[in-house]
Amino acid sequence: MFKTVLSLQWKEFNRGKFVGGKLAAKIFKWFWLIYFAFMSVMIGFIASVYGGPLMEFPIEKNSLVPFDYVNGQLIYFFAYLIVMRYFIQSLPVLNIRSFLLTPILKKDIVRFSLLKTILAYFNILPLFFLVPFTLILASSGNYDTLGLVGWNINLLGIIYLTNFFNFLLNNKNNLIYIVGVALGLTKALEYFSIIDFTTYSKEAFYLFYEIPYLSLFTWLFVFWLYSYVKKYFVTGLYIDTGLQVKIKEAKIDDFSWLDRFGKTATFIKNDLRLLKRSKRARTAVYMGIGCLFYGLIFVFSEDIYGTIGSFFGYLFSSGGFLFMFGSFVPSWDSQYYPLMMTQNIEYKEYLNSKWSLMIIGTIISAILASGIYSFIGINAVYAVLAGAAYNIGVNGYLTLWAGAYTKTPIDLNSSANAFGDKKAFNAKTILVGLPQILLPVLVYYFTSQNYDHTNGCLAVACLGILGIFLKPAAFNLIMKAYKTEKYSTLKAYKSK
Amino acid sequence: MIEIQNLEKKYSSQTVLDINFLKIPAGQTFGLIGNNGAGKTSLFSCLLDLIHPTKGKVINNQVDVSISEDWKSFTTAFLDETFLIGYLMPEEYFYFIGELRGLSKQKVDSFMSQFEDFFNGEILGGKKYLRDLSKGNQKKAGIVAALMGEPKVIILDEPFANLDPTTQIRLKKIIKDLSNYKDTTILISSHDIQDVTEVCERIVLLEKGELIRDINTSEETLKELEEYFKARIN
Repeated sequence: MFKTVLSLQWKEFNRGKFVGGKLAAKIFKWFWLIYFAFMSVMIGFIASVYGGPLMEFPIEKNSLVPFDYVNGQLIYFFAYLIVMRYFIQSLPVLNIRSFLLTPILKKDIVRFSLLKTILAYFNILPLFFLVPFTLILASSGNYDTLGLVGWNINLLGIIYLTNFFNFLLNNKNNLIYIVGVALGLTKALEYFSIIDFTTYSKEAFYLFYEIPYLSLFTWLFVFWLYSYVKKYFVTGLYIDTGLQVKIKEAKIDDFSWLDRFGKTATFIKNDLRLLKRSKRARTAVYMGIGCLFYGLIFVFSEDIYGTIGSFFGYLFSSGGFLFMFGSFVPSWDSQYYPLMMTQNIEYKEYLNSKWSLMIIGTIISAILASGIYSFIGINAVYAVLAGAAYNIGVNGYLTLWAGAYTKTPIDLNSSANAFGDKKAFNAKTILVGLPQILLPVLVYYFTSQNYDHTNGCLAVACLGILGIFLKPAAFNLIMKAYKTEKYSTLKAYKSK
Repeated sequence: MIEIQNLEKKYSSQTVLDINFLKIPAGQTFGLIGNNGAGKTSLFSCLLDLIHPTKGKVINNQVDVSISEDWKSFTTAFLDETFLIGYLMPEEYFYFIGELRGLSKQKVDSFMSQFEDFFNGEILGGKKYLRDLSKGNQKKAGIVAALMGEPKVIILDEPFANLDPTTQIRLKKIIKDLSNYKDTTILISSHDIQDVTEVCERIVLLEKGELIRDINTSEETLKELEEYFKARIN
């Protein structure tokens, strides 16, 4: 049975409509996974030799220091592990409904889902730390081998405890609050140095080194939790209990104050609701907010990246929302594109509303970014404003235009692939990136080299202002692109 | 009202639609029937300019739909759930569609009030987004939205499927009233011979994209259609 279900899952991955995009996302994911694994190995080496971060540089090698240090930190490690699992580890999703009526026992369905997680990344990652750490300790000769084995087995047991605990966390609403409060309290007690948990942690984990057989109890606990979780899910395999999709209560959002803006407002109202109600769309807003601070990276390392880097950062700080939201116009409407295409609206109104929303977002970002960077000086504010002008006057159109060729449908109801869905890679969407980012940076570079920073900003701002005056012409071109692409876009959105 | 000339749609070598000539006069209730793959949805999609025909054209009230977009002001449709905006509440959806058709909020409200029975208290005033409604209720919302703003042409793909018996009867009455009193041209497709014969004045039978029969509905129509499909089995 395992084989059948496994092969089904492989097919599901392999036969998705957008294998290319998914594959790119996978590669991206693997890059990070390997990166963290590598870092873990490094930390394992460093910890075993020096007993802690390099800063604390203990003087004596070959003492019990590294072991004590790690034991002290383990309590925090497991706390973070629980948090990371909750937010990042995706629980195995089997299409359980379709299995309910097959002659596969419910018990087996659940068992498959649970056992599949044994090889989950979060269970393997700690090994990258533990193996080199233990080997080096053992080879130093200062440690009892049996003790180290017991110590490791215990840790492995706790790792799997958090693994199965995560299932409960994800399914019992109250539990997450309790755990959240507990973790917060721990952190607070540590922060105000009321209780130093590391001393307790040190002694507790050391106990398993001293009495290796104690770790058997950890594993008894693992098996108990596993069977508890299994039972919990088996009893939940009814479509009106465990398998029911949770529905959030809806509330009307009345944006009638926008009505004065005419037909454009009709769409903006909907887009605001979209941003509010769809997880996937909300990430565009969050990422826009994140981009506000993007410039800081370059500001604090100006000696590495130079003023060009800073300018690039400023440009991005006001344009974050524009890029994150605008790059997926009209994909946001992919689920009901046929409706949009048969309503009594012209492309111009539709596009204008999207453009307006992007511009409003850019203006708000520019105001916020000016506030953030004002502490650096007036020059930074000039750069932010110049970047905003360019984003409004040029990048708004370019993003919309590229959108005509972006034909990746977006599933608004899922947030799972917020970082996963890649834009359909085609030459046009990549080409459009050049004038969006490279051109203003180059213009700034050459004018600021020949004159000064203020003139550099002014030159970029002028390009933007020029663009604002060219709106009718730009919109005509964009509309044409959208019209010719209409049928293939409709077709692409249909194949989800 | 609607004129179809030499319409042909091909995907690579497969022809899914091939209609020489079809004219639907204003005010007619027009039914389209045929098995899966007969080309019903393709025909409707061509009428709505959602797919581009390989050959030929569709004229809707003197407007060539693939050239001008003027037909959108008097034509409405509900083909499937892609005509619904999932993250809106039903009320918000109706106001949105209403605004696009130039109806004020009050007008939408008064229009909706005639559908109280039809909605059966399950759509308005609830606390659900459209995406969370049942399939049947989603369909009701979509169909009613297509009736808004006094359109001259209404296109409904399989309107009766997924609806409960009471709602089916109500919908049939609504459609008949629209064609009798408002002179609305209504195009309906269905798999159910009985539904179509009950509602439509004229029935066209498609098979593999071609027009097989063109019948003005009479007492014998149901029998005639039944016999046609029975004969297909052998």
